[in-house]
Amino acid sequence: MPITVLIVDDHPSFRAMARAVLADDGFCVVGEAADAESGLAVARELRPDCVLLDVQLGDADGFALAEALAVGGERPAVVMTSGRDRGDFEALIGASAACGFIPKERLSGSALGELLR
Amino acid sequence: MSFAIAPVATPQRARAFTAAVSLTAAAAAAGGVVAIAAGVVRNDTRTLAAVTLVAALSFVGSGLVAWRRRPDVWTGALMIAAGFALFAGSLANSNSALPFTIGLVLAPLPSAIIGHLILSFPEGRLHSTLERLVVAGAYFVVFVVQIVMLMFMGFEHVTGCPCPTNLLFIRDDMALHSLIMSTQRFLGIVLAIAAAWIVVRRWQNASGPLRRALAPILVTGSATIVLLLAELIAANSSTRAWAAVSSAERVAIALVPIAYLVGLFRARLGRVAVSDLVIELGRMPAEPGHLRDALSRALRDPSLELAYWVPESETYVGIDGRTVEPAAAAGQTVTVLERHGQRIAALVHDPALGEDPALLSAVSTAAGLALENERLLAELRAQLERLRESRARIVEAGDTERRRLERNLHDGAQQRLVSLALGLGLAESKVEQEPATAVTLLQAAREELAQALSELRELARGIHPAVLTERGLTYALTTLAERAPVEVVLDVQLDRRPPPAIEAAAYYVVAEALANVAKYAQATTATVSVTIDRERLHVEVADDGVGGADASAGSGLRGLDDRVQAFGGSLRVISPPGQGTQILAELPLRS
Repeated sequence: MPITVLIVDDHPSFRAMARAVLADDGFCVVGEAADAESGLAVARELRPDCVLLDVQLGDADGFALAEALAVGGERPAVVMTSGRDRGDFEALIGASAACGFIPKERLSGSALGELLR
Repeated sequence: MSFAIAPVATPQRARAFTAAVSLTAAAAAAGGVVAIAAGVVRNDTRTLAAVTLVAALSFVGSGLVAWRRRPDVWTGALMIAAGFALFAGSLANSNSALPFTIGLVLAPLPSAIIGHLILSFPEGRLHSTLERLVVAGAYFVVFVVQIVMLMFMGFEHVTGCPCPTNLLFIRDDMALHSLIMSTQRFLGIVLAIAAAWIVVRRWQNASGPLRRALAPILVTGSATIVLLLAELIAANSSTRAWAAVSSAERVAIALVPIAYLVGLFRARLGRVAVSDLVIELGRMPAEPGHLRDALSRALRDPSLELAYWVPESETYVGIDGRTVEPAAAAGQTVTVLERHGQRIAALVHDPALGEDPALLSAVSTAAGLALENERLLAELRAQLERLRESRARIVEAGDTERRRLERNLHDGAQQRLVSLALGLGLAESKVEQEPATAVTLLQAAREELAQALSELRELARGIHPAVLTERGLTYALTTLAERAPVEVVLDVQLDRRPPPAIEAAAYYVVAEALANVAKYAQATTATVSVTIDRERLHVEVADDGVGGADASAGSGLRGLDDRVQAFGGSLRVISPPGQGTQILAELPLRS
């Protein structure tokens, strides 16, 4: 059974491209959300195995959503992503409920699979 | 008796007025003396009549002095009026009907005028609604109520009075008369107490100079009020006791105007203070704030504040250079100080000082040079303060701009490059199994790359227009005009290139002005003209839009102003509502 993924990012072009890349690599992208509020709602409804989460969602903070997703029974694995430099968030990622970080331009099925293993 | 004593314009008229008042008062007094001597005045009131004459003369004399000092306030006129009312009041001692009736009507009037005088001390005007109510009430009680009472007063009931006819008499109604009289007395007592309370409150709240000025009038005024109360209470007892109290009250009254004058003279502080000030200013170390302290000591007003005038910005600043508004706080007066006809400062001071404009002007003359020095110092500080603010704004504007650039890069070109990287990766994986899909993906990637390049170019131009450096202001403004959403008429007359920083400043003035035209002006055309002379570069951007732009409101125009001022130039925004906007910048070619 393929791993289900929810993509939460405020840039539609990235969501579309990430969906294509992950689908090509055998993941099942079950949903997309553009902001923190709908991201949380969709995650609770669809219960994906994994949430690919942008660090900065417009004005909201991706890490806050990661914490919110980590509360409850079935917690999805959260993988942070960003177009900005990893070094900017290193400490935050370590302290957060997320299981890892993938720079946006390096997103691929194998990179995601590596973190979920 | 006349209240119509308007400020007299010429010295001749002033002298004539003084002479007329003095002669009339002298004649009245002489008449009184003759009447007393000739036995026209009834025996039992002879002492009272004599004291009253003295009090009347005291009032008229003091009134004339006060009026000569300050013809613009009512104090002198009121005193003169009180004097004549006292004369008229003693006509009640007369044996014939008309003077007797006039005397009866006017006899209580001086008490109201004295109340009015005390409450309006020292400026000659009443200070509050309560004071106005008390004074109006007093006039009503001593005049209107008095007349109504006299209408029902049959003098046959008054013991030991072989009185002449009361011309106001309508019918004898002892009950009504008593009622009115009791009411009059009661109201009189209430008003006297209210006046006393107001005076005590003023004393409590008064500053040093005002207390010094208030003291004499307070002593005589309260004595008068106490005796007036005693007189009102003693009215039912024997005629002899009443006459004694009345005489004492008249003596106190006679002292009131003199005390009033003493108070006024104490409020002015004497020329000694000015000479002390001159000496102190000579010794004064050039430290800010000393002048205020010296003035405060010379004028004996610890509450005194100085605000310096900055003609350039048309505002007042404190000695620290910060803008202040010298509004008169509660119980303070503001006087503008001038030197050689130029406004230099505003003095916020105790109102008692305003009683003596001559002193204030002597002090400001004595302190003139020091004031001018401190004013220049304050102006310099104000300029430094403005500079500091504008420098902070320039740094802040730089930060804001960097944030905007980072945001634009992140949301624009960077996102496109991310998509490009992912797209290329996807294409790579499809090359062998699905070459057609790979080609489509590569085409999309090329399109994405073109967009990213275009966005980067746009952004780079925003950071600094390369055409400006490479091809000069004329060409850069042409490209700016071509990109503007409204029609731009360009008129650039340059025979040489200004220094790069000035070129850039001029370019940003036009760029920001045209951006504003596009955003707010609802204009159809804009004209841009740039000229150069030996000293300066002149830039003008005008539009035919709605106007009403405020240079101090928007950060854009404010930032331009900072930028232009940083080069020692000036920026003006003329934007009357409905008549378009004109932005004029002048930039010096060498700093």
